[in-house]
Amino acid sequence: MVVKIEHKWGMVVDLDKCTGCQGCVVACQAENNLPINTKDLFMQKRAFEWIRIERYWEGDFPNVKARYLPVMCQHCGNAPCEPVCPVYATYHNDQGLNVQVYNRCVGTRYCINNCTYQVRFFNFWEPTWPERLQNQLNPDVTVRTRGITEKCTFCVQRIRRAEITVERRERTKLNDKTMAARNFMPACVQACPTNALMFGDQNNKEDKIHGYFEELHGHDGHSDSRGYRILEEIGTDPSVIYLKKVDQFKMEHSESHG
Amino acid sequence: MIPKGNIVAATLVGLIVAGITGFILLVVAISWFSNAPFGLNDAPAQPIAFPHTAHAGTVEDGGLGMECEFCHRNVTKGDSATVPALQQCWYCHQKVSGGDEAAQAEIDKLVTAYSDGVPVNWERVHRLPDHVRFVHEAHIRHFTQGDTPETQLEVKEVCTVCHGEVAKMEEVQPKQFQSLKMGTCLDCHRKYDVPTDCTICHK
Amino acid sequence: MGAVACDVFEDELKVQSPVALPEDLVKGKENWYATLCRTGPSSEGVVVRVIEGRAKKIQGNPNYPTNLGAQGVWSDLGLQQLYHPDRLSNPLRLNGEKASGRFDSITWGRALDEVSKALESRDGAVAMISPPMRGHSAVIADEFIKAFGGKRIEFESLDLKTYRSAIKNIFGQDIQPHYDIGNAEYVLSFGADFLSTWVSPTQWQVGYGEFRDSEHSHRGIMTHVDSRFSVTASNADRWIPITPGQEGKLALSIAYVIIEEQLYPSGVDVNSLTSGQGLSSLAAYSPENIGNQLGAPEHVLGAHSVPELIRTVAREFASHRPAIAIGGGTAGASTNGLFNLEAIYLLNHLVGSVGKEGGVILNPESPVKNLKATSNAHTLSDLEELIRDIKSSKIKMLIMNNVNPVYGSPDWIGLEAVLNSDDIYLVSIDSFMNETNQYADMILPDRNFIEDWGNDVPEPAAGYQTIGIQQPIVNPLSDMDPRSSSDVLLSLAQDLGKDGNMPWKSLEDALKGMSDELFELNRGSVSGSTKQEFWSNLLRQGGWWDKSAVGQDRSNISGLISKVIDKDKEPRLSGDGDFYLVPFLHNSLLDGRNGDMPWAQGTPDPITSVAWQTWIEINDKVANERGIREGDVIEVKSGASSITGIAFVSPAQPPSVISVPLGQGRTKGSAYATDRLDGESANVLDIIENNKIEGTEGLAWAATTVSITNTGESLRIAKFEGDYESREVGFTEGEELIKTTSPGDHDH
Repeated sequence: MVVKIEHKWGMVVDLDKCTGCQGCVVACQAENNLPINTKDLFMQKRAFEWIRIERYWEGDFPNVKARYLPVMCQHCGNAPCEPVCPVYATYHNDQGLNVQVYNRCVGTRYCINNCTYQVRFFNFWEPTWPERLQNQLNPDVTVRTRGITEKCTFCVQRIRRAEITVERRERTKLNDKTMAARNFMPACVQACPTNALMFGDQNNKEDKIHGYFEELHGHDGHSDSRGYRILEEIGTDPSVIYLKKVDQFKMEHSESHG
Repeated sequence: MIPKGNIVAATLVGLIVAGITGFILLVVAISWFSNAPFGLNDAPAQPIAFPHTAHAGTVEDGGLGMECEFCHRNVTKGDSATVPALQQCWYCHQKVSGGDEAAQAEIDKLVTAYSDGVPVNWERVHRLPDHVRFVHEAHIRHFTQGDTPETQLEVKEVCTVCHGEVAKMEEVQPKQFQSLKMGTCLDCHRKYDVPTDCTICHK
Repeated sequence: MGAVACDVFEDELKVQSPVALPEDLVKGKENWYATLCRTGPSSEGVVVRVIEGRAKKIQGNPNYPTNLGAQGVWSDLGLQQLYHPDRLSNPLRLNGEKASGRFDSITWGRALDEVSKALESRDGAVAMISPPMRGHSAVIADEFIKAFGGKRIEFESLDLKTYRSAIKNIFGQDIQPHYDIGNAEYVLSFGADFLSTWVSPTQWQVGYGEFRDSEHSHRGIMTHVDSRFSVTASNADRWIPITPGQEGKLALSIAYVIIEEQLYPSGVDVNSLTSGQGLSSLAAYSPENIGNQLGAPEHVLGAHSVPELIRTVAREFASHRPAIAIGGGTAGASTNGLFNLEAIYLLNHLVGSVGKEGGVILNPESPVKNLKATSNAHTLSDLEELIRDIKSSKIKMLIMNNVNPVYGSPDWIGLEAVLNSDDIYLVSIDSFMNETNQYADMILPDRNFIEDWGNDVPEPAAGYQTIGIQQPIVNPLSDMDPRSSSDVLLSLAQDLGKDGNMPWKSLEDALKGMSDELFELNRGSVSGSTKQEFWSNLLRQGGWWDKSAVGQDRSNISGLISKVIDKDKEPRLSGDGDFYLVPFLHNSLLDGRNGDMPWAQGTPDPITSVAWQTWIEINDKVANERGIREGDVIEVKSGASSITGIAFVSPAQPPSVISVPLGQGRTKGSAYATDRLDGESANVLDIIENNKIEGTEGLAWAATTVSITNTGESLRIAKFEGDYESREVGFTEGEELIKTTSPGDHDH
């Protein structure tokens, strides 16, 4: 009996709900065995987070705004990082994920160079944890060594567990409600207290994000939805949709934005 | 008189050949002294000389005909097959004695370990590197709950697909049947039309 | 090939047969257990992922009423606390001079013996300091210290006493209310950084997510009044900068407009609120009268003057109902903080949102008779009294129960000096070395919440009776021997025959008794046909709650506005510095309690993206005038003391304000907390001057003025963003990274 996997994973980020709290950042670090960002790494500008909250200023006091943009790997359909890997350590799988195979990576960093969103990171130093802290490491995720490029995987280890448990063992359909209820959502999505992050299957009509992707591609007749993708004019075809931040009041001297 | 250029060329070639030979010798030496399953030598001896033949071997062969999953209980439930706790061995061996003196000595080792509360650390025979996530349960399920006769086997028959006839092995050694290299995995995955996406095993 | 084996851990080449294995343990399979997380400002219901006896991940418990599956930035920190390399594993006994740092590791038997003897000989002269606590741990701590004739002070660096008093006066009870932000249409907040660190941030964030949901309802509008550009200010639709201490006047001015223009709903009894005087009671607070005293800029979002701004906000607030007014943080930290908060909270009565959906939801009493729904709010004044008692030898023994007041209080209070003396026998129950227990005679290692029993009556609850339960998820590692603080106190009391009011063998025992009590109530979210089944289900769910057991509105609105106006006094400020000092709780370190955890240190601050260091927020134009650039080491000096930190030049900082986060400046603890260069880490609490809040005697931590000097040194600032100011520049229209839209512009 063969089960064909036809998921196309995607994410939606509601910029109006993101408060910049960094809850997703810590959850991702805990789930994916990220190296600890020591003060030295910050000083060297080598600290990295697979999901980061970028804060952009707008205006000047007192009409100043800080806008938060959570950025993680966009899992581009037309990824600039994929064709340039000399050892084929990164490729696009049939579920729409941009996959990074750690054991194949030799560390040329060409992919990091090419990434439009700067969401790929290189381990310039050997990640180490004090022995006792190693008890916390997640056994489902490979612990990377120095010389390897890594990035957000949409918590593919959780997706795989979801498929084995729900689709294969229990032979039921997987949807975003099941994933949320059984801890299969990516760590960042699960952590977000305002539900600014949403995750699901673009191909599954029951999933919440399906509607956003349909709107984006103009399939349902509405072209004025809040959804857009960052830097999509470059042609990367990201799998992450952002929902425009709502400006309740027009700022003085503010340029119109989109 | 040998012209200067030739000496330089000859030395260069000599160095290269020496380098390559040295490198090959180095790799062989490291492999020899490495632990199984990557080394060229056999696995080190086990702390207790457990004979699969006596337990899992068929009754005709003088064994007890035990199912693989009777001891390796996790194989139908999770990722790793696991070895049984000493308590499980002790259930029988608190009473059951060995066929001869040598066997009894091994059983005594077990009983002592159990009563002292000391776990037994077996030498790992089948080991995949850290970047490979192999899920036993999915494979057992595939071969036992399928649609074709080929995929409706007993659990113990499934085990032999990769591990060989362990029930006939007095001492289990690595690489006695499948090499457990990635090529083996992919061949089988392709044969049964199961996904070969990298993230299935490498996360 | 062979080279791979060189780098492999020895353990990888073995596979172990344990001696015994539970029948239901599936190796490599995860289990999730419910418990409570204690690393945030309030407890949260969480589920912990356990694989083979190791805790791997903490996530929100989807059923727990206050956080509904959400978590905060601090939720996973418990894991690093549990497995911290510097965590104390055995009792430590001082061997030498106080603060010599020489401790011997001893057995629990010896340790408890010695503490027991100390208690016996100092009976009647014992006191305890702990953080604010509820649940049975609080009951046990209280009964314990009472049995020895002493008091327990519930200490917090930035205490919530003034907030509680304001709530009591305006809503008739000091059980903290729940703010139903999720169903509100408008939030008007003053000073409270509720989206980041104030009171129960995860709870408010859950509501905020629904508040901003424009798919299913109107998008809510938020105006935030604050002396600094906090995380909450950055998320507000309108931020109004204000001079610290003027928040109350602004609130009353808004009240004036609402009454003058009759914007209040029909059910509101303005007559009663104003003792029959109507608008005239608030005459002094008309926008035209007080608008220019507030220190608010004139042109916020197109307003032409501050009075116009006040009228606009008042109209918005009163017409978008349900509307909530929230106050806290800096608004309650000037010397007139109580007046400010009361003025703010009475606005809720004026728009009819008390006790209604989308408004202020009052919380009920706890369902269990001896568990209070509130902790005590003590203040620095209580700590000062304790110090006087120690000096006069009224107190000869002090128990520090998981608290670090030497770090957490300003130096001028003199706590450090009285502890650094042989006249006081100091016992510390804690998991790490810190500034306080360096003076201990005995340190007893406590269990981490992941390894320990406990319970909590959440403060605030979500509008109905709730009891959270905490259970041990994993055993301590084999080389560690921590013991639950409540069990330690119980066994000490039992040994000395003082456990009369604590009829429990252990904390677990007490919790089982509570479970039986809840079982008898025969209502609520946990079912069970026997007490045993009920207990199992209680642990499985992570708590008990009853949505029908709601609170009551006990407000007495008669003359309320007049009573508040009577308290109006100008805020007093210390010093003649040219800046207001506005300290604030760090997003992940909070008041410093999480300083030992690398994740807490390494998480960038949302506004500045700085990590690991103390930064000094200065307005960009002011910095320019003074020749200060980012990275310059700045000395910030008040009348009390001075600190140094690294300048962060911010376009959002009000020009007259200097802001400094709490949390750094640690001198004792793990390397993650203390290993810093000179100039990049400071404890801002040390420069807060001794001002008290009228009516509550809490510390007025926003009443200090400071002056700044550029020391001439400069350090690299450890921030996550790039070196250039993060503004979107040079984009063609339509190609911005962050696109915005107006409300109603989109179809959904």
